Amino acid sequence: MRRFVKTTEMTLLVICVVFFVFLVIASGGDLVGANSLKVLLQFLAVPILIGLAQMVVLAVGQLNLAVGAVGGFAAVAMGVMMADHGVPVPLALLIGFVLASLAGLANGLLVVLTRINGFIVTLATMTVLLGVQYRLVGTRTVDAYPQGLKSFGSYAVFGVLPLIFLVALLVAGLLSVMLRRTVPGRQLLASGGNPIAARLSGISNDRSVVLAHTLSGAILGVAAILTVASSPGVNKSIGGDWLLPSFAAPIIGGALLTGGSAVVLGTVLAAFIVRFVDTARAEFSLEPSWVNFVVGTVVLGSVVLGQVRTRRQSRRTVVKAPDAAVAGRVS
Amino acid sequence: MSAPVSETATAALQEPDQPPAQRGGKTPWWANQRIGLLVLVVLLATLFGVLRPAFFNQQLVVFPLLRDIAMFTVVGLAQLCVLSIGHMNLAVGRMAAFSMMITGISYDLWHFSLYAGLLVGLIAGAAIGALAGWVIARTGVNSFVVTLALDFLLLGLIPLVYTGLTDNAAFVTKPDGMREMRNYSLADICIGNVCGSPAVPQLALFAVIAMVVVGWIYSRTKLGRELLMTGTSVKAAELSGIPTARRVITAHAMSGCLAALAGFMLAVSTGSIKATIGEEFMLPSFLGPILGGTLLAGGFISVWGTLLGTALTSVIRKGLDLLGVGLESLNIYLGLILLVALSTDRIRTVLSERQEVRQR
Repeated sequence: MRRFVKTTEMTLLVICVVFFVFLVIASGGDLVGANSLKVLLQFLAVPILIGLAQMVVLAVGQLNLAVGAVGGFAAVAMGVMMADHGVPVPLALLIGFVLASLAGLANGLLVVLTRINGFIVTLATMTVLLGVQYRLVGTRTVDAYPQGLKSFGSYAVFGVLPLIFLVALLVAGLLSVMLRRTVPGRQLLASGGNPIAARLSGISNDRSVVLAHTLSGAILGVAAILTVASSPGVNKSIGGDWLLPSFAAPIIGGALLTGGSAVVLGTVLAAFIVRFVDTARAEFSLEPSWVNFVVGTVVLGSVVLGQVRTRRQSRRTVVKAPDAAVAGRVS
Repeated sequence: MSAPVSETATAALQEPDQPPAQRGGKTPWWANQRIGLLVLVVLLATLFGVLRPAFFNQQLVVFPLLRDIAMFTVVGLAQLCVLSIGHMNLAVGRMAAFSMMITGISYDLWHFSLYAGLLVGLIAGAAIGALAGWVIARTGVNSFVVTLALDFLLLGLIPLVYTGLTDNAAFVTKPDGMREMRNYSLADICIGNVCGSPAVPQLALFAVIAMVVVGWIYSRTKLGRELLMTGTSVKAAELSGIPTARRVITAHAMSGCLAALAGFMLAVSTGSIKATIGEEFMLPSFLGPILGGTLLAGGFISVWGTLLGTALTSVIRKGLDLLGVGLESLNIYLGLILLVALSTDRIRTVLSERQEVRQR
């Protein structure tokens, strides 16, 4: 317990609580009403998932620029299948999920097989998938899918806890268990933390990279399902604004860009904070631009603070490859 | 880039295609990326020209094409400066928007002339770039994160300023000469009776100047060599007495300054100074240098390659557009071409390495 008090998660939790109390007071208590709480949580599901999708690839020391493109492509594919081709809902959702996972798998395989930098590979797949997404849906908005799915998207347990929020939490829980308790998960973190040591211990780094990218794709598939279920319709702009939040959540949550860290809870809490900023913006009826401004400042502040903390620690222990951070290298 | 590190898979990913042969100068000619690119550009241009003779229309196709190439080359150079030290600048586009905002203010409120405003913009760009570099050098935080956060920050800040200062989110005051510069070509510059080609826009001169200056810095000056050494190995550079922190700031300031120049070129060619300037800069900024052989890991740059890489993507874009490939499919092809180009590059490197081994 005393160890937990000093972690990033604890700091984030305190910030979350303080921020929430502040918002409740500022709104004159309106925010704890069932409906406001429901809306607050409703719009948290997708940000949590895209943060996790990025977190998984960061954990292996890679990054995924195609988060928005994969999610948007899968969401649009599902929408078009249901609305235009009459594919039954469960099948369409399954196909969309598989497509997203395959896109992730393709990213991983390309990185491993061609040895091109992951940044460039995902940049290229992002471009390709954006094109596919636009080709599928064009300029229209697809919304003629069955009512059942939409009511799944807006259903809330006890009128407060939206089902899609619970799904996002479930995914977070599963991911956490996987990374901490299963062999592939531990291997993934080991590859990210120190590739040489992992290799010498008989772990295939290539397999870890492919696994991380596939997992990222699968999580984005879930995010796409939730997006289709909860939004009034899907169009070409779905996923267009996912990239920056996907990095913001893990980085605020304390993930290391060099890999090896699994910060599921931190990512979820950071998604909460970003959502609170947005709520505050709406509360004081400021311009939407303020959210980006504040989130940018918070990300910058949290990395600087994190660096200060690492340095303080490194005075006691020798941390892994400090010059990697100075060189600013991203794989 | 020590040998044992690149043996492991992930580390090899972190330090991408490093063509050791390229630096030694013993590369077979077909493995030279620049020549391959040049051949490809010429072939593609000919192909498009044969398929659609309109491709060689001077006023409607070649002129805007060259204007695009010029602008995106400057964008690529802006990225190249930070790539040279192994950093990234994800905020190139937003830095351009920020400096054009300052330029717009200088035109609108202070009634500056065209070039005075450009100068103010360049200084603003260099300042914001230096700020990014300073944060990176001071805290040691990854450049990717810092510029991403800065991008966020500017994305929020710029629209706020625009809505505060203007009526319809664009600065309407245009200094003398801005409108003319948009359409002027070399045909408007005459020495005696000899005039330039009407197909080459005057705006391209900015790109030429930028290329000459950047090329000169990296090939002839101490600063350039120190930047490249910082990119190859920070530790080694530090131990050789190079003030690496200051070089990091310099590289980012250069990047910001070039981004501002690109923003100015875009503002002139679209004819308006608005908040959305530079939104589409990010992808091309990496495409040009990377296709041209600049290393993501730092330590090796190619100014010519940047021009050729940019030319390749612009020619493809324009050609497909003329062939009637819809806007939606353009991105698919561009992404695939990028992947194929980089994969073949990898194959070429492996092949030339093998040949070398066999010769030994």
